[in-house]
Amino acid sequence: MPFNRKPQKFNASIKEVTIGCGEKAVTLGGENVYPFYSFDGEITNAPKVAVEISDMGVPEVAGLKAYYEGCSTMAEIAKRASEMEGADFVCLRLEGGDPNGANKSVDELIAVVKEVADAIDVPLAVEGCKNVEKDGELLPKVAEALQGKNALILSAREEDYKSVGAAAGLAYDQKVGAESAVDINLAKQLNVVTTQLGVKPESIVMNVGSAAVGYGYEYVVSTMDRIKAAALSQSDAMLQMPIITPVSSETWNVKESMASEEDMPEWGPVEERAISMEIMTAAADLACGSDAVILMHPQSVATISKMIKELV
Amino acid sequence: MAKFVTIGERLSTTAPAVNKAFMERDPEPILKRAKQQLDAGAVYLDVNIGPADGYGEDLMKWAVQLLQSEFDNVPLALDTSNKAAIEAGISVYNRSKGKPIVNSADAAGRIENIDLAAANDAIVIALCNGEGIAADNDERMGYLTMLLERGLEHGMAETDMWFDPLFLVVKGMQDKQMEVLEFIKMISDMGLNSTGGLSNNSNGMPKNIRPIMDSALVAMAMMNGLTSAIVNPNDLRLMETIKSCDVFKGNTLYADSYLEL
Repeated sequence: MPFNRKPQKFNASIKEVTIGCGEKAVTLGGENVYPFYSFDGEITNAPKVAVEISDMGVPEVAGLKAYYEGCSTMAEIAKRASEMEGADFVCLRLEGGDPNGANKSVDELIAVVKEVADAIDVPLAVEGCKNVEKDGELLPKVAEALQGKNALILSAREEDYKSVGAAAGLAYDQKVGAESAVDINLAKQLNVVTTQLGVKPESIVMNVGSAAVGYGYEYVVSTMDRIKAAALSQSDAMLQMPIITPVSSETWNVKESMASEEDMPEWGPVEERAISMEIMTAAADLACGSDAVILMHPQSVATISKMIKELV
Repeated sequence: MAKFVTIGERLSTTAPAVNKAFMERDPEPILKRAKQQLDAGAVYLDVNIGPADGYGEDLMKWAVQLLQSEFDNVPLALDTSNKAAIEAGISVYNRSKGKPIVNSADAAGRIENIDLAAANDAIVIALCNGEGIAADNDERMGYLTMLLERGLEHGMAETDMWFDPLFLVVKGMQDKQMEVLEFIKMISDMGLNSTGGLSNNSNGMPKNIRPIMDSALVAMAMMNGLTSAIVNPNDLRLMETIKSCDVFKGNTLYADSYLEL
């Protein structure tokens, strides 16, 4: 009997969300097939790669120090990041805002946001400091400062979706990241309540949680798998938002990426390991359904963007 | 599995206000009832214009265009014994949100409505009865087979034939209830879709009792594989039960606000 290929196409599709303005704007989502199933149908917009930079400057990693050599201001760092081979946009992480860390003031951080936004011509995502109270105050101000830039604000969570969602999605017309921690029911619920606020579904990008490979990663796989399945096969409009996954903030803090070569000689050079962790995690995220990943190291960005190009 | 398909039953000539609006081509009462049903979560709307001898074609066209232009091409079930009216309705029907449903065919005088649905690439509700109510499930299955073969002969996809087991009234036919539920299971085991006028079970009962009986029956029927029902979507208890059953069956993904969706 001859083999009859039956493409698995769905009537539903992932919503398209555009970040940024002008020629370099990027569009996430749009596909109506499973991740990289380009044999089933055209993948409208290939997954995108964002480069993470931090208000705390360039981390003490030789490869990063070398890449950003000569950059002394945030504007210079941002510009260099935006020129990285394979980068589609920049993600500024305001980790210095953490009250348990550098505890920078909101005004100080907003100055950094403006400096970065003015320095680059690619789209910008801004991630808070992860402290719910501080982010609740900081992110609405970020949304205000970036008026007209069509930026992605990361993130609105269960605790602060009202303030962050309303400021970013309604008042200042930015794109809203809806963040849940590997909890598929909460991921859907956040989209429901955020749209009930009045935010358009086309203005929402999900961050459904992440982990470094080997660190409970199978839960990330099943969460993303089930979200894509519900979005496409059940036409669940409340799960059809594209997914963005921060990778570097997870992978650079695990022991495989940090243990020194003296302590673990059999593991080889520490920077190579950290890059491997970042690449493996990002590749897995994309295979599970992420429409964008946020990476840090130039080698990871180049590798992952090449992988995307080869597969789409 | 796909979500349960509710077909809103409130646009019917059996309601005097609707009948009057149909006769006078008065959009207001029609649109109001349609909106109430859609807001409550109806997927399809049934448009029952009665036999409408002599004016059915004109009326069905009017109703289809009125509803689809107002409500983003809402999918409709065209409910009349008047075949020309169904064909006229389909001729102006927009399929972007779902195929039209021909309501209905049976294994006796209305079997030709299967051919009509096939010729127009429509879904058909196929009543598993002939003349009078089937005596048992063997007889129901005989009708189902006859209807299914007729559809397949005319090139229909079997999933476009929604078999109606005929829900029976509890008051008077209480002893037949489990039989109907078992027949739904038989339809489901064949991989076929099913639908029906579920609220028939509670005919003649006090108003406050009917939602309770309807909800219990829909839960039992969904357990047995019922894929759709013709219901009053403004019965909140019933709709909440259907949405909850859809969660248990994995037809929709749970979120705390699932009842609001």
